[in-house]
Amino acid sequence: MAMIEVSHLQKNFKKTTKAPGLIGAFQSLIHPQYQTFEAVKDLSFEVPQGEILGFIGANGAGKSTTIKMLTGILAPTSGFCRINGKIPQEDRKNYVKDIGVVFGQRTQLWWDLPLQETYSVLKEIYDVPEKEFHKRMDFLNEILDLNEFITSPVRTLSLGQRMRADIAASLLHNPKVLFLDEPTIGLDVSVKDNIRKAIAQINHEEKTTIVLTTHDLDDIELLCNRIFMIDRGSEVFDGTIKELKGQFGRIREVEFELVDSNDGAKLDYSTLPVPVEIRQTGNTVVAKFDDSLVSVPNILKLTLAQVEVKDISVKDADIEEIVRQIFRKEAQEHEQLS
Amino acid sequence: MKRVFRLEKIFIAQYLKQTMEYKADFFVGVFGVLLNQGLNLVFLKIIFSQIPKLDGWSLQQIIFIYGFALIPKGLDHLFFDNLWAVGQRLVRKGEFDKYLTRPVNPLFHVLVETFQVDAFGELLVGVILLVMTTGTVHWTWVKLLLFILSIPFVTSIYTSLKIGTSAMAFWMKKSGAISYLFYMFNDFARYPVSIFNNVVRWIISFIIPFAFTAFYPASYFLTDKNIVFNLGGLVVISIVLLFISISIWNKGISAYESAGS
Amino acid sequence: MSSYLRRYRPFIVAGIEEATVYRSNFIIYLLGNTLGAFVTYFLWKAVFTSSANSSLNGFTFPEMVLYIFLSFFTGVLTSSDSSTSVGDEVKDGSIAMRILKPINFAANYFYEEIGNKIINLGLLMLPFFGGIVAYQILGQNAPAVNWINILLYFISAIIAYLINFYFNLCFSFTAFFFRNLWGSNLLKNALVVFMSGTLVPLAFFPAVLQNIFKFLPFSSLLYTPVMMYLGKYSPKMIVSMLFLQIFWLVFFIVLSKIIWYFAIKHLSIQGG
Ligand SMILES: Nc1ncnc2c1ncn2[C@@H]1O[C@H](COP(=O)(O)OP(=O)(O)O)[C@@H](O)[C@H]1O
Ligand SMILES: [Mg+2]
Repeated sequence: MAMIEVSHLQKNFKKTTKAPGLIGAFQSLIHPQYQTFEAVKDLSFEVPQGEILGFIGANGAGKSTTIKMLTGILAPTSGFCRINGKIPQEDRKNYVKDIGVVFGQRTQLWWDLPLQETYSVLKEIYDVPEKEFHKRMDFLNEILDLNEFITSPVRTLSLGQRMRADIAASLLHNPKVLFLDEPTIGLDVSVKDNIRKAIAQINHEEKTTIVLTTHDLDDIELLCNRIFMIDRGSEVFDGTIKELKGQFGRIREVEFELVDSNDGAKLDYSTLPVPVEIRQTGNTVVAKFDDSLVSVPNILKLTLAQVEVKDISVKDADIEEIVRQIFRKEAQEHEQLS
Repeated sequence: MKRVFRLEKIFIAQYLKQTMEYKADFFVGVFGVLLNQGLNLVFLKIIFSQIPKLDGWSLQQIIFIYGFALIPKGLDHLFFDNLWAVGQRLVRKGEFDKYLTRPVNPLFHVLVETFQVDAFGELLVGVILLVMTTGTVHWTWVKLLLFILSIPFVTSIYTSLKIGTSAMAFWMKKSGAISYLFYMFNDFARYPVSIFNNVVRWIISFIIPFAFTAFYPASYFLTDKNIVFNLGGLVVISIVLLFISISIWNKGISAYESAGS
Repeated sequence: MSSYLRRYRPFIVAGIEEATVYRSNFIIYLLGNTLGAFVTYFLWKAVFTSSANSSLNGFTFPEMVLYIFLSFFTGVLTSSDSSTSVGDEVKDGSIAMRILKPINFAANYFYEEIGNKIINLGLLMLPFFGGIVAYQILGQNAPAVNWINILLYFISAIIAYLINFYFNLCFSFTAFFFRNLWGSNLLKNALVVFMSGTLVPLAFFPAVLQNIFKFLPFSSLLYTPVMMYLGKYSPKMIVSMLFLQIFWLVFFIVLSKIIWYFAIKHLSIQGG
């Protein structure tokens, strides 16, 4: 059975609508108007144990709202989710024993206390036995490097340190499922790297099922086996990265290293039926083209016929590019509709 | 149950550590409470400088009622003050999320999270006033026992009203004002109910039953009259109120909307 | 002038909008305050009933009733809490967003609060003030309506509001010393309520205290306007009381500027 099972999940919010400015303010004072807003629309998916699911979508797409329903914070308007065999809203106390949650924009650490105090309180809350606790702390120290700041008050931690501390807090009780809502938001490259490694290691060593939302497509590419993409509350894609690339990834790049950099000018792809974009920096030339119209071998053949080449590398479609494409297409459709 | 006390202990310890980080705060809080109560007493003194008795009650008796009111109020303030934060901030800003992702009853978790040391000011003044006016009461062992037993029930009235009103925030986002409104009724409780008109008397006896937090029980200790209504009513009302407020709270949690982030 | 107004209009509008978003909230707060007034009313009623005299310290019962409800009305009219966060914002550096804009820092808060007040008073004026005037017309032995006194009252109350605004602004800088704003506010409010005459008219205090309180700024916040309404001051007293109010207003404006100067210096040294 799947670890996470989501079926026709829907969340509506009631929103007050108000005309702008003074008149609107008075109107809403006397007669407030409400409107139903569908933040999450009819989502269904399953996640097997041990998978890392990347949940992506633009700002306001409904990612956090979905996570909040999965973690039992919000009650769905309709539909249901079952995780680890439990319905979060029905069996909340038992359910949350087996999950860990991190909201990147918020902290669950005790703000004014040294970090390690938070862990000793959480140890009590989650009823972690003393021996287990020490073993766990050692492990978390090792993968997240907490030692350098574990005695500092939380309010003095940098964002990156705080995020590592928060992730450790969510892992203290050895959860079966981990929900991470934008765990790398606002962090610099090296901290992001550290956090990704930790997530991968947890997943690898403990077979933890992980649901991760992010804006950072490197996170996805480096961590996720599978992508679930939503837009304005609805599903737009569900599958592996490979499938995403197969379905949308038509733009490809081939990189050549030339023997003689002057040869770059000799390159000519005008015999092909489609345009090929060429970029040269020093000895390196990059050819960018749509691989549904012209195949990679064709490009290679043509290039090798014209210039002398030292090295060749064929690059996969960049996921960032794909996502941008999908959103651009969506946005266009949306505009046409309205 | 053992776990409950263990957690309570841990949270109090944590909170004290936090408070010690800001020592000036501790003193300003306690001093603020002391001054506030002190000035209230001066007010009573001024009133009684005009008249010998207020509707048949002496200054000593009124001060006893006053002191009695402060003990449960102080206890509620000491242990359960975090409920204000639910109505003011935690729900509106979505910070309540945290309590829902932990394997502890959220109400319990919210309740034990703070330990408001300012309340020692109230408790201190309450005890001093009771000691000062203890001569106005004919103490017996039974009465002393009833006195002690009544305190948790009174405290529960305060806490229940706070639970119920702060839970409104789950629908309204912000309900500090409602809690405040209820608290304003509290001021009625310190005076003999006979000075109020029927509507007010009825409200503070049965709707927002603050009269049972001070005047009714205290009047039993002072006059030995009406034990069934004064103390029995207290027990019944505090249990009913606790029941109602917890069910409002539980309904509220399923209506919780978090906040966009 | 019109460009001046145009610049601050957005703040007023923001204040109004904020007041309407949480409209149920402030209606309830008002109800709470009204309840407080009624507790006091019943208490004084019992006091007058229990007393052998028909007038206490120069107040008849109808005058006392007016005093109670006027002092609550004045309390709401002159209340000012928009500036209570200034100190906090300076301390944590978020004030930067406000002082980046090319406008006076106090005006930021002031105009936002004016917007709030427009709504507050719009709701409060009719039931409360109407009620007070109705009581004067219909109530037995109630003091007659006197329009000059009412005018004097509003002038004095507006000055009182301004004093209160700058006083709270100055006070907000205690955030540099305390994190527990609840405690320090309780401390302040207890003192203000007591020395401004909200709890009990200053005339009820022993003579020594009365004289001290009269010259402290707190009586300017409430006692002065209410006494003007009740017509308890001679023309000479009225003039000197208004001057005293203006003195305190200038005092707190200057004080707030001085504190602001040092706070900002602290901010630029600490880097927020
Ligand atoms: N508590 C709430 N009340 C009303 N609307 C909300 C609430 N939470 C989220 N929303 C709305 O639902 C939509 C989805 O929000 P969210 O799930 O936070 O998006 P994401 O995490 O993908 O950026 C947004 O338009 C947001 O404004
Ligand atoms: Mg989000």
